Amino acid sequence: MQDMNLTDLFVSLTDKVGLNYQFLATGYEAQIWRDGFVTTLYLVVLLIPVSLIFGLLFAACLTSGRLWLSAPVRAFVEITRNTPTLVQLMFSFLVLNTFVSNLVGGAQNNPLTPFFWVVAVVGLHIAALHAEAIRAGIEAVPASTVEAARGIGFNQLQILRYVEVPLAFRASLPAIVNNLINLVKLTTVGNAIAVSEITYASIMVWTQRDNVVELMIVILAFFSLINLIVARVGLWVERKLAVPGYGL
Amino acid sequence: MNTFANNAIVRLEDVHLSFGQTEVLKGIDLTVNKGDAVSIIGPSGSGKSTILRCINALVAPQSGRITVGGTRVDQLTKESERIALRKRVGIVFQQYNLFPHLTVLDNIVLAPTRILGVDRREAEKLARHLLEKVRLVEKANAYPGQLSGGQQQRVAIARALAMKPELVLFDEVTSALDPETVGEVLWVIRDLVRDGMTSILVTHEMRFAEEISDTVVFTENGRVVDRGSPEQIFRNPDNPRVRQFVSGLSGHNAMRDGEGI
Ligand SMILES: Nc1ncnc2c1ncn2[C@@H]1O[C@H](COP(=O)(O)OP(=O)(O)OP(=O)(O)O)[C@@H](O)[C@H]1O
Ligand SMILES: [Mg+2]
Repeated sequence: MQDMNLTDLFVSLTDKVGLNYQFLATGYEAQIWRDGFVTTLYLVVLLIPVSLIFGLLFAACLTSGRLWLSAPVRAFVEITRNTPTLVQLMFSFLVLNTFVSNLVGGAQNNPLTPFFWVVAVVGLHIAALHAEAIRAGIEAVPASTVEAARGIGFNQLQILRYVEVPLAFRASLPAIVNNLINLVKLTTVGNAIAVSEITYASIMVWTQRDNVVELMIVILAFFSLINLIVARVGLWVERKLAVPGYGL
Repeated sequence: MNTFANNAIVRLEDVHLSFGQTEVLKGIDLTVNKGDAVSIIGPSGSGKSTILRCINALVAPQSGRITVGGTRVDQLTKESERIALRKRVGIVFQQYNLFPHLTVLDNIVLAPTRILGVDRREAEKLARHLLEKVRLVEKANAYPGQLSGGQQQRVAIARALAMKPELVLFDEVTSALDPETVGEVLWVIRDLVRDGMTSILVTHEMRFAEEISDTVVFTENGRVVDRGSPEQIFRNPDNPRVRQFVSGLSGHNAMRDGEGI
């Protein structure tokens, strides 16, 4: 009841300054729009850890010194870095997804949804960028520090885990935060394959209501807010991990 | 070889090592007895660091035998075997190479807990004991970047000792320090040697080497040119090249001592 009143109040107030948010008072369109926000947030919350985990994995492969690990990852990183994400998404959905459908005997048996493909494509794309940043960070760890760790008796994986990654992560954090900000914006490519994130949902609404400007204002504010939070959290982590007397 | 042979903890026999086309070690023989301190001196590029790296299996020679406490280091083929050896042989480097993102305590505790599986409390107890030994208890929670070079080097020594090694290799551990802090590091090493820790030191601190060494080895160009007691090498070297090197360096030291005042 209270909710309803607030919405009505908002609709009438904005109406007075010439903004048309009347659809909010309806059931169906308001629901679509709200779900759009939820889907975008869901994508962001899922994609951040996915991109980080794969980024770390890719970086480990790239710096492993083993060709059978580094070469395929290097090839993937180059392709994903140098081609448009939208094209990757379409390729994945129209080609790979169809291929999977044929394998399992028809689209009705294919468990992979458009939502999955957005997570896979955007997640791995950003992971490739993370991997480059982390790789550069790992390679910036002085050889003498690594040799000292080897001399003590750490194995390759332990050196990565206890020495190289902690140092590389600190060094690459600004780049990683930048990638995450891009990630948030990239979720909108889901639009192209009918994942009803916020831009897709908004198009559904404004084609009916002719209120592009009104919805745009909210979309822009929404993404700005998410990225403000991402940047803030990034800064907080950076401060938290800062090492006294060490120039990182 | 001699009467102390049974007591040998490290033995290099005719060790040859090349990096690509560059022949760095051209037949090194070296024996270190348990509890002894052996200093390796010689001009830059003569292969001193490489000898230490061979003993710790950080590099592998092309030929020759290396034995460390019953282990044929030159025959190790698996990384896991080399790691097992490195746990027993501590090494301290010129540039300290502490882990900059860890506190002094964590630097010391990391290897025992993660490599040896010692529990955290036990490892911390040992770490604090070692910090006492190197006189840095009050710095336990500082980061390496907040310490002077001499303090960092003492932490590096404590970090090596935390693995309870059978011997410790020191590679020019005072060369990066300013003259005023050299002393505090030498103090720590002197204590260790007196406590009977087997030590191999590459050093340019001739007076120190003379004071604490049981044997001094002079290397040049990948070969051991001369070896003997400190008295023999520093006071009356037979070998003209050694004589030239030692007199040149003592002049250098005297000059630096003058500056230190
Ligand atoms: N990893 C490597 N690859 C190629 N050459 C190397 C490598 N390590 C050392 N060398 C070469 O081997 C020779 C001996 O090096 P080493 O570091 O053992 O000398 P050193 O006696 O310790 O000298 P310094 O007193 O300057 O430390 C040098 O000519 C050096 O350039
Ligand atoms: Mg050297």
